[in-house]
Amino acid sequence: MEFGPILRAIRRNKVRYGLIVAEVALTLAVVANCVHMIREARREMAIPSGFDDANLIRVTSTPFAEAFREDTYRDNERQRDLEALRRIPGVIAASNSNFLPWQGGGSSTETRPLGSRGEMLRNQMYSVDEATLATLDARLIEGRNFTKEQVRSDAERLRALFATNRPVGTDGKPRDKFTQDVVVSQAFAKLLFADGKALGKLLEDSDGDQYQIIGVIDRFYNPYGWPIHEYVMFFANNAGSFDFGVPYLVRADPARRGAVTAAIEKALLAVNNGRNLRVRSITEIKEQFQSSSSLLVRILSLVIFLLIFVTSLGIVGLTTFSVAERTRQIGTRRALGAQKGDILRYFLLENWIVTTMGLTLGVVMTYALNVLLVSTLGAVKMPVGLVLLGIALLWLAGLAATFFPALRGARVAPAIATRNV
Amino acid sequence: MFLHNLRIAWKSLRRNALLTALIISGIALGIGTSTTFAAVRHAFARHPIPEKSDVLHYVRLDSWDPLKPYPGDDPTRPPTQLTYRDAVGVMQSRIPARQSAMFKTNQYVYPDPKVGRPFRETIRMCFADFFPMFDIPFRYGSGWDRKADLGPEPVVVLSTTMNDKLFGGVNSVGKTVRIAGRDFRVVGVLADWNPNVKFYDLTQNAIGTPEEIFLPFHFVQPMQLRTAGNSDGWGTSGGLSGFEGLLQSETCWIQMWVELPNRPAVDQYRDFLAAYVLDQKKHGRFPRPLNNRLSTVKEWMDDQNVVPKQANTMLIVSLLFLAVCAVNLVGLLLGKFLARAPEISVRRALGASRADIFLQHIVECEVIGVIGGVLGLLLSLAGLAGLNAWLKATATRSDFFQLDGPMVLLAVGLSLAAGLAAGLYPAWRTCRIAPAIHLKVQ
Repeated sequence: MEFGPILRAIRRNKVRYGLIVAEVALTLAVVANCVHMIREARREMAIPSGFDDANLIRVTSTPFAEAFREDTYRDNERQRDLEALRRIPGVIAASNSNFLPWQGGGSSTETRPLGSRGEMLRNQMYSVDEATLATLDARLIEGRNFTKEQVRSDAERLRALFATNRPVGTDGKPRDKFTQDVVVSQAFAKLLFADGKALGKLLEDSDGDQYQIIGVIDRFYNPYGWPIHEYVMFFANNAGSFDFGVPYLVRADPARRGAVTAAIEKALLAVNNGRNLRVRSITEIKEQFQSSSSLLVRILSLVIFLLIFVTSLGIVGLTTFSVAERTRQIGTRRALGAQKGDILRYFLLENWIVTTMGLTLGVVMTYALNVLLVSTLGAVKMPVGLVLLGIALLWLAGLAATFFPALRGARVAPAIATRNV
Repeated sequence: MFLHNLRIAWKSLRRNALLTALIISGIALGIGTSTTFAAVRHAFARHPIPEKSDVLHYVRLDSWDPLKPYPGDDPTRPPTQLTYRDAVGVMQSRIPARQSAMFKTNQYVYPDPKVGRPFRETIRMCFADFFPMFDIPFRYGSGWDRKADLGPEPVVVLSTTMNDKLFGGVNSVGKTVRIAGRDFRVVGVLADWNPNVKFYDLTQNAIGTPEEIFLPFHFVQPMQLRTAGNSDGWGTSGGLSGFEGLLQSETCWIQMWVELPNRPAVDQYRDFLAAYVLDQKKHGRFPRPLNNRLSTVKEWMDDQNVVPKQANTMLIVSLLFLAVCAVNLVGLLLGKFLARAPEISVRRALGASRADIFLQHIVECEVIGVIGGVLGLLLSLAGLAGLNAWLKATATRSDFFQLDGPMVLLAVGLSLAAGLAAGLYPAWRTCRIAPAIHLKVQ
């Protein structure tokens, strides 16, 4: 092996080889961090919601006909809408709920176990009907779902309760409390109760009103502005108002999803045309929510590709000059009996040593850049395996980039050595 | 002499066209990516209303829960918006030159049936000062006067787009628009007004476009208007329900801007806010320590992280990419110049000084830098066009990312700097070649 001559050559051309070292080091640092960010973004984008996202459709009916201001008229139209939706061929389930997966927000409240002196815990909160869990394809792991009768009676009770102001006690809170049945996510159940046994337990909110847990679902994930993505409480009520419209969720048979989506607007306008309709698939809503992440992934992938390309180019360039400069030395070595393979090996080894020096420096820079990005992006720490992968990748790129110029060097005829001296 | 050097540079670049193409494309990629992402960051960070950067202030008061701070990264931050009671309360001050509480609401607009079906539209509820305070230009008519705020009088201001939609673009001042069951008289139509960042309401989509319809704020009560934006609440409802309950509650949903022309006015207004909160404390409200904030547009944008973290990350990554391209350029130039040693030796022997040789090569590097820079600018134009197309699909806005004057200057500066930085060492090495050795060989 020609370690000695190579190291001496490197020492004599410190700057030239130093440049490759710097380039390889920077490339490793940037590529490893880009791949890391891509993986983080992908991981976040792949988190399952717990629902049949691909086949869910959101329908919002926003009325302009004044008749919709009346509660009973709206209730009646809601029932007719749901029946019409369920009659569309290919609809598996339809429900009335203000929960909209993947919109990147929603509504929330604060509760805590009844009798606990602990702090109030924030959770998402949505109204659902008896068909919502089936529509979402959410998995009920404990307890029971709301019944149709319960949705009707709870909605009536809540409407009466909020029709007027409630009498207030000396603590400034409503004097008469109510209890509402709720279904919670398992993650929230575990947050509330250390042993996770939540079924039948009671919670209270800041008014002192109570919530009894009748069912637990798993899993639930809906990204929110605050870190409460997995905590939810569903209660039975009629969702919708004149101002904000009436929201529906529909689950379609995968084979007839397109036809269902196309049929919805016409079917509902046939029920009542004093309103406008908006039909969107949850896939669309999810893509919109994740659009900046998926763009980031694409841009970072492009940057990685370009970076490796440019670095390889640099290695090709330097090896080419290195070979051109030493044409006569190569001729001499060949004349003295070196085989083509020996010459090729010399250049490949030289490149490998330089690349390895670069990679050593690069590992340090990778972690330095990671620290910088963690502070600006809140990214996660760099895993070791990824750095090793980056090293292997750049070793390969380095050798590939050296191979062809080195092959040209190996083809130098021994006779060159005798010319021009 | 300079022209002569340019000619030599051009000849030298043409001699090995493939190598030159590789060298130039490398630097063009570096300039292209870094300019693109500098422009992306700039689009978010650019001041949307620079002429009023010192005088506009966003108002926040800490009316939140005594037991824990408003949720977010920073526990010292008060809620992002005001309660209805506080918005109305601080609007009583006579200190600001102009001021407006505001929020957005979704309501139905009922156009002439010949024009189209009723449609839902996001409407901004604001005070008369909203228009002059934010220097909003008018095509027809003007905003309403402060007297109309009090009534409130049924007046409306439309955007150009909305005026096109409802009235086919004619001067509609004096005509009537039906909104949520009431008739409003058009008093003004805005000229094109599209700030890069919707600075006056950053609570949801910071780069959204402004609303198309503006109504006097005080219709909130008679029309029972609820916000279409974020609303954050805490604590007991106090037994109140319905719309009156919302107005009396601690729910935060209203944005508040004031224009304070000078330092004394700012101090005076701070004192006013402190006195307001201390007075409210006497009534049992504002249980947290006094924590009022007056933020300039820039401070408010920073607080709300208008520049996405990804934009910063991509700028860092693209600058590192440019660094790799520059290092790469050094290596390639070094090889290229040193391979020319025999030729340079002849020139030196014929009387060219080291400085001549150095200058000649620096000029060659700058030529590479400038060509790379121009190509890089074209690349970033393409990149920004792609990003705009993406943004249009997600945010209905197609001109957000632009290569404006400062960004073109930046690209030119970067390419000259890269050419110089990458060229210095190779040019210096080249001019120090000892002619004798190379002359001997020939």
